[in-house]
Amino acid sequence: MSQKHFTLYSHAGGPNGWKVTYLLNELGLEYETKYLNSQKGEHKAPEFLKINPNGRLPALVDHKNGDFAVWESAAILIYLTDKYDTEKKFTFTEGNEKYELLQWLFFQMSGQGPYFGQGFWFTFFHPEKVPSAVERYQNEAKRVLGVLESVLSKKEWLVGGKVTIADIAFVPWNNSLKGLLGADFDFEKEFPATAKWHDKIINLPGVKAGIEEKARLAQQ
Amino acid sequence: MLANPASGRLAAVLRSIQSGTSPLGAAAHSPNVIASGARGRRGMSLATNPAAQPLMLYTAGTPNGRKVSIMLEELKAMYGLDYDVHPINLGANEQKEPWFLALNPNGRIPALVDRNRKDFVVFESAAILLYLAQRYDTQRKFGFEPSEDEYSRMIQWMFFAHGGIGPMQGQLNHFARFAPVDIPYAKARYLDETKRLYGVLDIRLSDRDWLAGPDNGTYSIADMNALPWVFGHQFGGIETLDEWLNVKAWVERCSQRPAVRAGLQVP
Repeated sequence: MSQKHFTLYSHAGGPNGWKVTYLLNELGLEYETKYLNSQKGEHKAPEFLKINPNGRLPALVDHKNGDFAVWESAAILIYLTDKYDTEKKFTFTEGNEKYELLQWLFFQMSGQGPYFGQGFWFTFFHPEKVPSAVERYQNEAKRVLGVLESVLSKKEWLVGGKVTIADIAFVPWNNSLKGLLGADFDFEKEFPATAKWHDKIINLPGVKAGIEEKARLAQQ
Repeated sequence: MLANPASGRLAAVLRSIQSGTSPLGAAAHSPNVIASGARGRRGMSLATNPAAQPLMLYTAGTPNGRKVSIMLEELKAMYGLDYDVHPINLGANEQKEPWFLALNPNGRIPALVDRNRKDFVVFESAAILLYLAQRYDTQRKFGFEPSEDEYSRMIQWMFFAHGGIGPMQGQLNHFARFAPVDIPYAKARYLDETKRLYGVLDIRLSDRDWLAGPDNGTYSIADMNALPWVFGHQFGGIETLDEWLNVKAWVERCSQRPAVRAGLQVP
């Protein structure tokens, strides 16, 4: 069997690998996904640390570029659009929009990801209940949603009037809001413009396919 | 405030910087520090203030702000490009005031306004570094061509620092210094993760001088993006960098650059 264009090292339950899956699907690129088992420490095994010294997922290997490895999910999104989004459908590579796009990607990677992640840790994974920590991260999650709302109530997409990797990057964590903020959390009511924007992105065919794949894996 | 600074040249640099900084700005360090408040805001556009510099940086004395002031000092040294500084009073929550939210809806510093380009605003420190590199580093001294694999590697290390070191060391600082409730587990969690991240940097720097670039590496915005956080290791309780000798050497290497020393003192 011939090797696919890419190997994507990912995590079935985690949020970040899915951003890459969505984009690979949307761009129609050929890839094979290897889901690593973090409980078995596969992401810290020497073979994987050669690909990503940080030992985290996702990482992407481009077999048509000398097995060049890219890690950090947003860096992967940028690499894929720079090299393979020939029509620049999901990105901007010049003009002010290029920097607006980078800005929103960095905000997602440092403002949404790590804070939602700590929220999930203290809500679901930490053996003791630490209410003040849970509250800190839940409040920050709401603040971040408020920032998105303040922007998306005035425009349809984050950058340049079209859906880009900046929008796509926010999807996995925003898909987990009920887990983080509780079953009573009403996304549409509290952040209507953001909920509407989120709904549009998850119905893009490549994104939808990724979401369905995640659900399938969760049942295995 | 700082206990047992490292010995030698690094210590001398640390002492000179620590003695010079104050939270609300050291006007003596830069003649272009605009007073905060209404007077500063009126100085925003070139039309109303012909003496204004093309670039205006809204910032405070934090690692993220200093990433950008370091780059601006490098650009000043290399190209003679000057900039204005508007210190934001974080203690008074100035960054959440409506006028600042109009610049950065996230209400955080730094933010850069480019008066050369119709007051275009960039927020997120790493995005500002990329903007400055692409727009103003015309000789490519501090970055790489976007089409090169080296550019991708630089971007990877930038996200590593921006999404890893920054937020995790930031949580360490919060639980070690600012949290109203003492949570030993949280302090340990973020201390362990920050140390793990320093370990990753240490491996990267074991066979090269700089984070990105071919062979031995080239000094770039990837280094500027990580340095101020690592430089501030003592604030959260990591007393020395002796556990990561390659990182320690890299910090010292960066600190030898006059622009780094100058940038770490802004505002």
